[in-house]
Amino acid sequence: MFTFAILSQIALNGITLSAIYILVALGFTLIFGVMRIVNFAHGEFAMLGGFALSFFYVSLGLHFLVALPIAAVAVGAFSLVLERVVYRRFYQREMPGMIASLGVSIALMYGGVALWGTHQRSIPSAFSAVYTIGPIFVTAERVVVIGVCLVSLALFYLVLRFTRIGLAMRVVAEDRITAEAQGIDTVATYRFAFFISTAMAALAGGLIGQLFSLSPFMGLMPLVKAFIVVILGGLGGILGAAIGGLVLGLGESFVSTFYGASAAQFISFGLIIAILLFRPQGLVGRKEG
Amino acid sequence: MALLLDSDDAPSARWRPLARWAAWAAAAAALLAFPLAAGGFLTHTATLVLLTVIGAAGFHLILRVGLVSLGHAAFAGIGGYTSVILMMTFGLPWIVCFVAGGVSAAALALLVGPIVLRLKGVYFVLITFTFGEILRLIFNDWQSMTGGANGISHIPPPWPALMDTRAYYYLALFAAGAAILFCARLLASDFGRKMDAIRESESLAEANGIPVFAVKVIVFAIGCTLAGLQGSLQAHFIRLISPLAYSFQESLNFLVMNVVGGSNSLVGPIVGTVFLVALPEFLRGWVEYQFIIYGVILVVVMAALPGGLVELWQRACRWITSLSTRSGR
Repeated sequence: MFTFAILSQIALNGITLSAIYILVALGFTLIFGVMRIVNFAHGEFAMLGGFALSFFYVSLGLHFLVALPIAAVAVGAFSLVLERVVYRRFYQREMPGMIASLGVSIALMYGGVALWGTHQRSIPSAFSAVYTIGPIFVTAERVVVIGVCLVSLALFYLVLRFTRIGLAMRVVAEDRITAEAQGIDTVATYRFAFFISTAMAALAGGLIGQLFSLSPFMGLMPLVKAFIVVILGGLGGILGAAIGGLVLGLGESFVSTFYGASAAQFISFGLIIAILLFRPQGLVGRKEG
Repeated sequence: MALLLDSDDAPSARWRPLARWAAWAAAAAALLAFPLAAGGFLTHTATLVLLTVIGAAGFHLILRVGLVSLGHAAFAGIGGYTSVILMMTFGLPWIVCFVAGGVSAAALALLVGPIVLRLKGVYFVLITFTFGEILRLIFNDWQSMTGGANGISHIPPPWPALMDTRAYYYLALFAAGAAILFCARLLASDFGRKMDAIRESESLAEANGIPVFAVKVIVFAIGCTLAGLQGSLQAHFIRLISPLAYSFQESLNFLVMNVVGGSNSLVGPIVGTVFLVALPEFLRGWVEYQFIIYGVILVVVMAALPGGLVELWQRACRWITSLSTRSGR
């Protein structure tokens, strides 16, 4: 049962899951870090990403790898409207902001129901090739998922680390008032962070739609995963999100292969309880006041 | 409602206590007479409102120490399932099952509370959300006990006479009245002041010798107990229980009730519950847009009216008194 071939196959599946979880959780944790808003509508932006991908890829017939970034940018642009109308009123106000984002979440979810109905759809597979590397099978679909995630994570890191706007985001996350005193346009920084965050959620949503299925209610799963990842890793950090995502994705993959999917859910909760008991600030997080 | 008219400049201060008693008496009479005047459907809806008020009041208590629990509906589920399983599988009398429903929710809250209450603010919301989802999974997956996704149907009423909706209305009215009275007394007591102090500033409360953590655990347990009792009463009223009724969306509804009604006083969740159960009646034919409207209302209230409908009422009263004093001069 525990042969190398099986274990590495499971690990590969786990890494695919991890890649998606990290993509979702990074955007979630970015908004919290920079704007102090727990965005309950984060999963709905993933849902919109899935439907946008379906529109550009299936309806318009664009190539998958072209349709995916276009869908992400489209959702990001739409989210800027919501940023202007709703989120901007709640910056730095954790509780009211969270409740308002819950409102955005249900409005978007049932907006999706009104537009697209409740039945599940699927996005036809874009890549059908299967490669064999030694004893393990790798579908091209998974290669694409992991590749897309790696590229966007790398981009995210480069922007945050080496650009002025990235520096601005880090400063604002650290201390908003000092940032403003230094002449940083915090509102523009928020807007940019929000755009990146929702676009990454939309990318993840497209990949989820491709791997699994598409429905207006699909946003709940990524949201729950983002929660778990940020509790594991600590809210607000990149390294934490990466580690949390890997732990969750690999753990789920192993447990659900051997003990079934609901066991995996219970384990992830047990893990959270353990973390909260012994390291409330997350695996790599700092202590919060 | 008379409690809300607390502006000092009204000229009829002497009449105030009398008017207050009259208002209470009128409200009580109206509530008692309601099922006699209203039809079966309205009575059914009113019973649901009364039952929901119990859970919403429990949510309110937790909110009053500054915590939002998105696992609240799951605790109602614990109460509901415990009560129904004890009655249908073990044949225990209803009152035992009802008490057991509350006790099981309280026991779970006391078990989980000390762990999850280590977290504050947003982290607490996340953990209760996750915990609620896990409980829902258990309801869903423990086929042999809970009937899985289909749940349990043909649940007997507490006793045969309560098959009648009107009879159940009075049971619900009694229970809701007792719960509200209990919460009001609690909030007005010394303990309630400690709760408010903790919400305003935890470190200041701690510095003044309030055992912050213990108070939070107790409040969490009381709130969850009320949810459990509601779950039990509701299961025997609807006579159907399923995991769907205890999902995250239902916890969200409790939050919406409190926020829309107003989260600063106990009147808030009552008003909010009436509003939220009545709203779908006004939105008939708009069923598919109902939740979209909920979402928009939630955003608008948070942005423009942080004190909820109660604040709207207070503002209106203030505006009217300011108008009358101005015209009097």
